[in-house]
Amino acid sequence: MNPAIRVSSVFAVPFGEGRLSGCARLNRELEALFLARETAEYRNPAPTHLPQQEMFESRFNLFLWPEPCVQELRVFMLNCVAQTVLQVSDLDPAEAAGLRLQNHTWFHITRYAGSFVAHNHPLASWSAVYCVRAGERPADHPGSGVLRFVDPRQGAGAYLDLANRRLRPGFALKPREVLLEEGQVIVFPSFVFHEVAPFYGRDTRITVASNCWFG
Amino acid sequence: MNAPATSLMPIFAAPFGVVPITAAAELNPDLAVLFAARAMTHYREPAAPPDPLCFRSREDLLEWPEPAVSQLGRAIMAGVSEVVIAANQYSAAERETLGVQARVRFVIVRPDGHLSGATAPMASWCAVYCVAAPAPTPARMDSAVLRLYAVRHPSMFLDASNYRMRIPFSADHHVWRPVPGQMAVFPASIPHEVALNRTHVDLILVIARLRFADQGVAGAVPPW
Repeated sequence: MNPAIRVSSVFAVPFGEGRLSGCARLNRELEALFLARETAEYRNPAPTHLPQQEMFESRFNLFLWPEPCVQELRVFMLNCVAQTVLQVSDLDPAEAAGLRLQNHTWFHITRYAGSFVAHNHPLASWSAVYCVRAGERPADHPGSGVLRFVDPRQGAGAYLDLANRRLRPGFALKPREVLLEEGQVIVFPSFVFHEVAPFYGRDTRITVASNCWFG
Repeated sequence: MNAPATSLMPIFAAPFGVVPITAAAELNPDLAVLFAARAMTHYREPAAPPDPLCFRSREDLLEWPEPAVSQLGRAIMAGVSEVVIAANQYSAAERETLGVQARVRFVIVRPDGHLSGATAPMASWCAVYCVAAPAPTPARMDSAVLRLYAVRHPSMFLDASNYRMRIPFSADHHVWRPVPGQMAVFPASIPHEVALNRTHVDLILVIARLRFADQGVAGAVPPW
């Protein structure tokens, strides 16, 4: 007789995903605003990583901008973060409502051969990425611009056999890759290392990223 | 009374070796010509999706009969063995019993190409040997470098006292610029990548997964 086995996740990484329905108008407005402000005045003056001419990174004060499109995105993204926190913690809604959510938020405009090295975000608990424009996806570069999360279970994939090479999503011993679509938001713990693979589209890839901490 | 001397040392350190291959000057021209000629579908790694900007061969270089390839294979295994012995506690007698197994491929990272971050499974050590490399470009210092991710002991708390720690305590990724004739050796479980090649010259590498076992013990290591 086969024993009944119940499989559950331990040491799991919460991974939130949401979509902004009817995002075309908002994304058009954001794209126009960001392209107009792709200037030295708005560039991050203290980048933490080696800057690339193929990627523009704004200052981290994006959600302080008063433009309605930015404020509309702020409400959506921060609500997604808050919803994720509620789903994965034992905070009740009243406790959560009493928390003060603070953020650093910026935009990236990536052009041909732009990328971002693997990194995480110390001094934050939750991070989010929203896709304004996915950019061209060349058929011969299926990994172009992919948002790749490094498996934090260091060394777990060093030994592979037939019984762990094909684990289901969530258990799989490999990086998690996301080809962002317009209007999609991803929420994840800030400790998870992530990178943007080189983008090979001939146009632009535009994203907004936010680091959040609560007090 | 003098204050007691403070002792400071790295713990949980990762070994990283750089090994010069002595015959490189003679081998590399032949290897570069051979690899360029074989950067074609027949020799491509079938498990990896084709990438027009980065060619990865099968991991069967040690089975090639060409003398330059055989000589390099022996040099790689000898060089990695030196690093392994330096990092371990084996006696001279014990080291004689160790056998080495390797899977070796060549990689050509073309202009605008890169090699995505990954670990090397079913192996304990990874070696990256440089056959040919573009000259460094001061304006793009991260072009075509081997980058080892510092993801092993990250701290989410940063302040002024741990933000700018020096090597080997720094939390920065480790970067090694491939130099023709030199080989980097590091634990296979460290995620690593070859950053985008922002020059107009190909970067040609030989990458090996290696593992060691007592030659007298049958089945001491699992299948690849």
